[in-house]
Amino acid sequence: MSGSVLVTLGTETVRMTVPYACAALGGIWSEKSGVVNIALEGMLLASALGAVALEIATGSPLVGLAGAVVVGGLFGAAHAWFVRRGVDAIVSGIALNLIAMGGTRFLLRALYGSSSNSPAIPGFRGGATGSTSAIALVAETLSDPLTLLAVVALASTALALARTRLGIQLRAAGEDAAAAASLGLHVARLRLTAVTIGGAIAGIGGAALAFDQHEFQSGLSGGRGFIALAAVIVSGWRPGRAVLACAAFALLDATQIVFQGHSRASHDLVTTLPYVATLLTLAALGRRRRASG
Amino acid sequence: MTVANASGRDAVAALRLAGIHKRFGELWAVRGADLEVRTGAIHAVVGENGAGKSTLLKIAAGILAPDEGEVWTFGERPARYDARRAQAAGVAMVQQHFALFDGLTALENIILGAEPTRAGGRLDLATAAQRAARVFEQLGASVPLHAKVGTLGVGDKQRLEIARVLFRDARVIILDEPTAILTPGEVGTLYLTLRRLASEGRAVVVVTHKLDEVDAHADVVTVMRRGETRGTRPVARGADVARLAGELIGGEPLPGLRAEAGPLGETRLAVRSLVSGRALQGVTLEVRAGEIVGIAGVLGNGQSELIRVLGGVLSADAGEVVAGRIEVVHEDRQTAGLVLDSTVEENVVLGELRQFTHGGLVDDTEVRAAAVARIDRFAIRPADPRLPARALSGGNQQKIVLARALAREPDVLVVAHPTRGVDLVAAHAIHEQILAAAARGTAVLLIGADLTELRCLCRRILVMVRGRIVAAFPPSTDDDTLGAAMLGGKVTAAS
Amino acid sequence: MPQAITVTSALAVAWTAFALLVWLYGDSPLLVMKLMFEGTWGTAYGAGQVLFKATPLLCTGIAVDLALRAGLFNIGCEGQLAVASLAVAVVGARTGALPSLLALPLLLLVAAVAGGAWALVPALLRARFGAHEVIATIMMNRIADAVIGALMGAGLAVAASVRTQDIARSAHMPRLDVLVPAFRGSAASLALVLAVLLAFGSQWALRRTRVGREITLVGQNAVACAAAHIPVPRRLALALVLSGACAGLASTGTVLGYKGYYEIGLGAGAGFGGLAVALLGRSSALGLVLAALFFGTLQQGGLAINAHVPREVVDVLQGVVIIAVSIGDPRVRAMLTGLTGAEATP
Repeated sequence: MSGSVLVTLGTETVRMTVPYACAALGGIWSEKSGVVNIALEGMLLASALGAVALEIATGSPLVGLAGAVVVGGLFGAAHAWFVRRGVDAIVSGIALNLIAMGGTRFLLRALYGSSSNSPAIPGFRGGATGSTSAIALVAETLSDPLTLLAVVALASTALALARTRLGIQLRAAGEDAAAAASLGLHVARLRLTAVTIGGAIAGIGGAALAFDQHEFQSGLSGGRGFIALAAVIVSGWRPGRAVLACAAFALLDATQIVFQGHSRASHDLVTTLPYVATLLTLAALGRRRRASG
Repeated sequence: MTVANASGRDAVAALRLAGIHKRFGELWAVRGADLEVRTGAIHAVVGENGAGKSTLLKIAAGILAPDEGEVWTFGERPARYDARRAQAAGVAMVQQHFALFDGLTALENIILGAEPTRAGGRLDLATAAQRAARVFEQLGASVPLHAKVGTLGVGDKQRLEIARVLFRDARVIILDEPTAILTPGEVGTLYLTLRRLASEGRAVVVVTHKLDEVDAHADVVTVMRRGETRGTRPVARGADVARLAGELIGGEPLPGLRAEAGPLGETRLAVRSLVSGRALQGVTLEVRAGEIVGIAGVLGNGQSELIRVLGGVLSADAGEVVAGRIEVVHEDRQTAGLVLDSTVEENVVLGELRQFTHGGLVDDTEVRAAAVARIDRFAIRPADPRLPARALSGGNQQKIVLARALAREPDVLVVAHPTRGVDLVAAHAIHEQILAAAARGTAVLLIGADLTELRCLCRRILVMVRGRIVAAFPPSTDDDTLGAAMLGGKVTAAS
Repeated sequence: MPQAITVTSALAVAWTAFALLVWLYGDSPLLVMKLMFEGTWGTAYGAGQVLFKATPLLCTGIAVDLALRAGLFNIGCEGQLAVASLAVAVVGARTGALPSLLALPLLLLVAAVAGGAWALVPALLRARFGAHEVIATIMMNRIADAVIGALMGAGLAVAASVRTQDIARSAHMPRLDVLVPAFRGSAASLALVLAVLLAFGSQWALRRTRVGREITLVGQNAVACAAAHIPVPRRLALALVLSGACAGLASTGTVLGYKGYYEIGLGAGAGFGGLAVALLGRSSALGLVLAALFFGTLQQGGLAINAHVPREVVDVLQGVVIIAVSIGDPRVRAMLTGLTGAEATP
């Protein structure tokens, strides 16, 4: 393989990891506090639309990014609130996904009169990436604000969970809510905070998706939320490993794009790898639990 | 409000509960209870299993909210008293089921809820470790701070719970059945610690049903019966057990039960060198038809795992179990014994629908008949088979589980803590049923932490330590010998 | 009675959300509502279309309800339905030699077996390893998309298209106008009758058969059942596989009763709709049927109002109803794992 192909593969992988990683980190915040979150797909979708809508309205990608973060956070807050009111977390997740999918298409038509895509936006990098030299490509990828934000999100997630009062309390709430409450911890508030932060981080991923495509398309998330969910499980709810898993899945995607021309069938089957990996992990996790009695 | 105490000085009650009512569904757990606790003393709250002691003290600690009544701490009455306000007022409780988190380290568990922090919410672990070290000094014991709690043993876990209480500098320390998991020797050490804490000016409350401990160590005692407090008085050291027993039952003492000394049949249960995970390290024992064998041991030495292997829920790595039909009555009837949302009828025939099924369909008349027969035989009250199991008292719930196990006429009956959380009258009835089963030729393996119960029913008492049976004693053996064996110390051989 | 209150208030919330969205879009809620009614129950054709759309929803609703009884969440109806649709279309194209009387039952069996088979992997994972079926069924959905795409590309599809060949004459499910001539022209078929029978039949079986009762008991407390020698893993697996089979049957109305072939994406959305139906239907056969009719009305109504208001408003409503009906749902709450626990927490 030539050097330039490797570089392209590498930068594509990094670029595609960002939405997965942000969604996965968002899922981890939620799950660590004890709230199951299968609405990552909906969060990505809704926040992507938020990013696009706000950039079109104000012309500023920064405001667009802020919009994505806020939408993601609101989604998380809604999820936490429903769960608190007695809605099963799975049910709430499915409902939010439905609302996101239907709602974004609804708004697409309401705002832009189209049922497939929005007007184009420049994002942080105007137009197509026309760089030819490898160094420029790498620099561009690594200096992309969203990539940097994703790295910051990873670092702060890991740090916050391990070393802050919020982190230790929400981990306790996630492990045993009744015991945590008996120690005076405010379980409901901890969960609300955790899931909202998670949603906000997932929002970064949504913005990344939207800015990457330079528009919002119906169904933009394309199942990435479920891949992120797979990464969360496969990694055992650990931030660093989850991002690594996301990178592995992104590499799969990037490989397919860079090496186009394979038959449709093998393309389809390769896309199942993350899902099959998750199934195997579920089996392994279960067996280990059985063995320890 | 101030109340003069015995020595004439004015002293505010550290903790005062007035007119507490608490209900769970249809059952009243606490009904019009009052309690006043002072600093400087060990205050015992006694009652039989199911009298409402735990519930009352959980309300005192803010863990549960009462339906009616008031909670006062040091003369103040916080509105909306909850666990956080309780902590702020200096009240802390060590519950029966520890509030410890396996995934966190010992240090993290100790500081949880009262964490020292630096700027930005970051934990100040250095300060935390220092303060924890001082607390351990006070306790005269220590636990590895950076170990994950999931790896610690039961004794260490209790020390952690107490350390946490001291870390928060609690003024009122409540312990719920703290000695259930301790050997007789460790009980003494615990009370020494509690005495020291009391003399430092804290209030210590111990919830227990062990009258001999109250007699030996407590200063003041409050008796609870069926959800009500029946008065508080000083303890007459060394002379109080009989009087307390009378107050607890409040009526005629029940006739004593004695295990039959009849002939034994062939071996019905043989366990040989059973190994499973880390919990069972080679258990060997035998029970013959008509025999009741008890297993004593500090909780956490493999008893739960042994029950689960015998019940077919946990697999063994090595060794063998040779037995006829085994029926297991598990420790926790609410999770492992009953489907609470279902009716008494469905519970009492749970898993046996096959015999009432014809052509794939269940014959409800047959089911009803069988259920009514069992309800009758075991005196399950109320006797309505259509009631949800949840509505029955602990004692009657336990009768359902036992009725089901015995209705299958097993060769071997394994029963764990059969009278935990059960009132005395029901406990007596359950003991009668176990004795009757043995008289019919069932081999009974009784696993219990309550030495009185074991002594009363068993022909032999085995001691289990760290996953092995280490000794066997006749029921007449004294506490010290049993206690030493339970700790794994040297034992004189007995048959 | 409390059930009726929950359902009524959920519908009220749904109507409010609907009105709000329509108003925000710039149209009159009452006008749109009238259009929706006219497009659905206002004409025989519209009513027929409602029945057509309700048919798969009822099947998936039964599927989700069945799993819920065992304490399981079957989120995999989408995949099970898709796999069954493909299977039924492929086998249906080859039953030319058989008379309808043999072909249709055979195809029903194929649909059920295909759906059940797709639920087998999650079922086994749950039974043998205790693996959470929610994640497993979600993964199977995505795998289904890929496998179907691959199979279609590998030859099952008619050349240069994304659909299979037509099914044989004998494989067609008769339209409903055979029974009720007024429905002529609509896509509703006898599959609806099948679905209704399935609804009542499944609820009856859960109550009266030993296996059905054991499944329900397992759903209430699996640990106690295991201690009482009920084979819990086997019951769980059975519940999930039966659930998949019901979801598979959802394909019959669309493929056999209407389209006459399968194309990628056919029937999508019925899986999640099934969750809405199951939650609104609250474990009664009549409730499931009514809930399916309600959501079928919404879906058909969405098409009718599409010129005025995007029909996706109906998807949003589906989500809203799911939430509204679940807030305070004691059955769903009973399946929660450790929420607030201590009562004193505000």
